Amino acid sequence: MEEILSKLYYMTAFSSFTYQVAIMWFIAFLLLYLGIKKEYEPLLLVPIAFGVLLANFPGGEMGVVAAENIALEGGRYKNLFEIAHDHGIMNFLYYGLIKTGFLPPVIFMGVGALTDFGPMLRNLKLAMFGAAAQIGIFAVLLAAVLLGFTLKEAASLGIIGGADGPTAIYTTIKLAPHLLGPIAIAAYSYMALVPVIIPLVANLLMTKKEFEINMRQMDKEFPAKHTIKNIKAVKIIFPIVLGSVTAIFVPSSVPLLGMLLFGNLVKEIGVNTLRLSSAASGGIMNAATIFLGLTVGATMTSEVFLSPKTLGIIVGGFIAFAISIAGGIVAVKIYNLFAKKKINPLVGATGLSAVPMASRVANEMALKYDSTNHILQYCMASNISGVIGSAVAAGVLISFLS
Amino acid sequence: MELFNEAVSIMIVGMLTVFFILFLIVGIGNLIIKLSNKYLPEEVVPVKATISSEPSNNTYAAIKAAIDIATKGKAQVTNITKL
Repeated sequence: MEEILSKLYYMTAFSSFTYQVAIMWFIAFLLLYLGIKKEYEPLLLVPIAFGVLLANFPGGEMGVVAAENIALEGGRYKNLFEIAHDHGIMNFLYYGLIKTGFLPPVIFMGVGALTDFGPMLRNLKLAMFGAAAQIGIFAVLLAAVLLGFTLKEAASLGIIGGADGPTAIYTTIKLAPHLLGPIAIAAYSYMALVPVIIPLVANLLMTKKEFEINMRQMDKEFPAKHTIKNIKAVKIIFPIVLGSVTAIFVPSSVPLLGMLLFGNLVKEIGVNTLRLSSAASGGIMNAATIFLGLTVGATMTSEVFLSPKTLGIIVGGFIAFAISIAGGIVAVKIYNLFAKKKINPLVGATGLSAVPMASRVANEMALKYDSTNHILQYCMASNISGVIGSAVAAGVLISFLS
Repeated sequence: MELFNEAVSIMIVGMLTVFFILFLIVGIGNLIIKLSNKYLPEEVVPVKATISSEPSNNTYAAIKAAIDIATKGKAQVTNITKL
């Protein structure tokens, strides 16, 4: 009888239930609460949180194992069938879809099919502020190196400041895959907190007078030199030319930017490629999001997540985000010192990615000070260029450090 | 210290590259706009000829058939006016 009870005890998960597992369950429940109840990026936070839960069900064998476990002699790796056989289905998905760097570009293709370059093309000058807002990535890279992170880890931490989930995941896969879980969580959590972080930084750095700069009024006083006569043709030519030119200068950004521009091209062509753009922004992107979320969550086993580095990532990610926003605002302030046509610094604050939430938040802030000051389309210009900027920054980091 | 120096050089190269690429985007965008304005001006959609206020025979027949079915032949069409 005692033997049967003992066998039953070991058949269940009670024997492997440790306090570390309990902490991971608590974190998973908290993330699920934030995703479901608070609606913080639910499309990604819910799969990630459930992935955390799956990975931390003792005996479930759904946690992603470290790369050493699938390494063979001679610098080779187990094939996918062997991985599935030895380590379970979640490792099959992780090493097949994530570690190969497959899913982030697929998601970027969907993002491209949902992106409209129109606001950026109509306000091309504002695209420069998407560059200034990448300063947080590199500032945190420096700080993280001083705190004892390796260069690759510091770069993966800094890329959170780009405010772009797929870019952060792609860079981390290439440079520091052991930090993938915490970095993805930090990136998506802070993206969800954009409505809090942008006002916080903007209120610290901007004056009332700057909040009141009316962009439309400025456009009337200083009209653009030329208007676009055939926006459809421009929107079709733009991704083709941009992709070709960027590929020459930063080839390592091609997997992300190339797919983004392809997605955008099939969208802009219109009816003839409607089925492709619908697939890219619909079914394919949704399926990719599910697998990305679950597998990234499954990397967060208690052994990996409960370490001092995770705390560093959470704090460092926030600083990277805040510096990026500040960088954009300061860049506009400097520009305004020399230009007659003033720009509302909130346009700089949206230079980080997080499209379109950052623009919506900035627009609402501007409207609080002046109910006629609709700056959404101007913010979208720097916001979209921020997506390109962070992908280019990721390309630079990968080509330097991988 | 060596790591820090390397991080500083990555920062300088990274920011310069990002600025350069976005500067290039501004340039490329302006060039595409100028060229398309010159060689691909907006397609002019021909304005349709004035629509006759009188419905065509086919429209009249369709409306009449629909009313016949809806009223089981009890009503007849006397006048059709576009709202």
